[in-house]
Amino acid sequence: MQRTMDMVLDWRLHLSVLVITIISELIGVIAIPIGIGSILLLPLLYAFILGLLINPNVIKGAGVWIKDNDVRAASPLIVIAIMPFIAKFGTIIGPQMEQIIDAGPALLLQELGNLGTIVIAFPVAVLALRMGRESIGACFSVAREPNIAIIADKYGLKSQEGAGVMGVYVIGTLFGTFIFAILASIFATAGLFSVEALAMACGIGSGSMMAACTGALASAVPEMKEQILALAGASNVLTYATGIYLGVFVALPITEKLYDLMGRKDKSAQAGE
Amino acid sequence: MNTSDTQFDPTQERKLSLSAHAMVLVIVCLIGLVGNTVATDIPIADGFVGLIVLYVISMIGLLLTEMVPVKLPSVAWISLVGILLTLPWTPGSEWIIAQATNVNFLTLATPCLAYAGIAIAQQEIDIAKSSGWKIFIVAVLVMTGTYVGSAAIAELFL
Repeated sequence: MQRTMDMVLDWRLHLSVLVITIISELIGVIAIPIGIGSILLLPLLYAFILGLLINPNVIKGAGVWIKDNDVRAASPLIVIAIMPFIAKFGTIIGPQMEQIIDAGPALLLQELGNLGTIVIAFPVAVLALRMGRESIGACFSVAREPNIAIIADKYGLKSQEGAGVMGVYVIGTLFGTFIFAILASIFATAGLFSVEALAMACGIGSGSMMAACTGALASAVPEMKEQILALAGASNVLTYATGIYLGVFVALPITEKLYDLMGRKDKSAQAGE
Repeated sequence: MNTSDTQFDPTQERKLSLSAHAMVLVIVCLIGLVGNTVATDIPIADGFVGLIVLYVISMIGLLLTEMVPVKLPSVAWISLVGILLTLPWTPGSEWIIAQATNVNFLTLATPCLAYAGIAIAQQEIDIAKSSGWKIFIVAVLVMTGTYVGSAAIAELFL
């Protein structure tokens, strides 16, 4: 118990986060214009980079300040640190409940849109990159914690499917906020989809990715900020509730079937070595 | 692909007690308050009350996670508490909304990402390196597919 408390009250860690937060907020939002729109750099992205820069696993010299036990202590704090943010999102959704109910069918059905990863990523992984059964774990979902649990349960994390889901999980952890901020910035300014649709798509079942996605969207279309946050937040709650079922009963069976249909059934033994 | 990553499982998070959660939340909210004061023109006293409201919502959500037998992640419960307390039909919701408005939503995510950056473990870097460029391309397509798929379906039914 004492050890847990030492970890929770790791002053070196919290002080570092405080300083990083101040620096990141002082820099503020920066917009970089590109051809089809602009990419928005957000304080939360700087905070992640600054966190990496003082991480001894990334920068060896950082070990003089942040030790291994600080790194270990930080991990369980991530989900706690996102809680006030999630609470704030709740208070944005509540007042807009009538508009959310109006958008109900779209909001519910767009959860199925998470299967888009199978349409876009899976064929590339199997046919173009010639990946083996790794591609099943990698492509059936956006690979956040509940999806890892599905793969761990069905194949074990030592399997090729496990390696696939872990690979995408780690890339998502390292680059997910950047990727979603860029996606949202580009689509917000490209005008292909309505802002409401893009807002709903931001709810992918990860607090930090949603933050990056909605932050970029709301900075691009500030006059619709409240609506963006409410729709994204509602979609995110739905994903928390439905994501695991969509994964187990729809996404994973489809991915398995497609893998066989693509004629890779017999390659499982040799692939991924 | 080797199997050196088998010990690494992010779903096996260390379970912290409710009191540990309560304490970390105090620290996180204080950092959030500093961030909010730096990022916006909102007076620190107003932001303070706003964060107390968000703290209480988070704690109610955590209590529900422990007490209700339905298995939902704590963030789902916290969302639901935040939603229920601010519905137009909930008495007193206007006061709660007014307080929460004094906290900038994006600023609250900043400390979380700082912890996330510091928490990156050697195993995660090893996995990223050993998985190589193929998994990077796939991961970008996975995220793009999820986003565009959801946006396209939402667009159809809006």
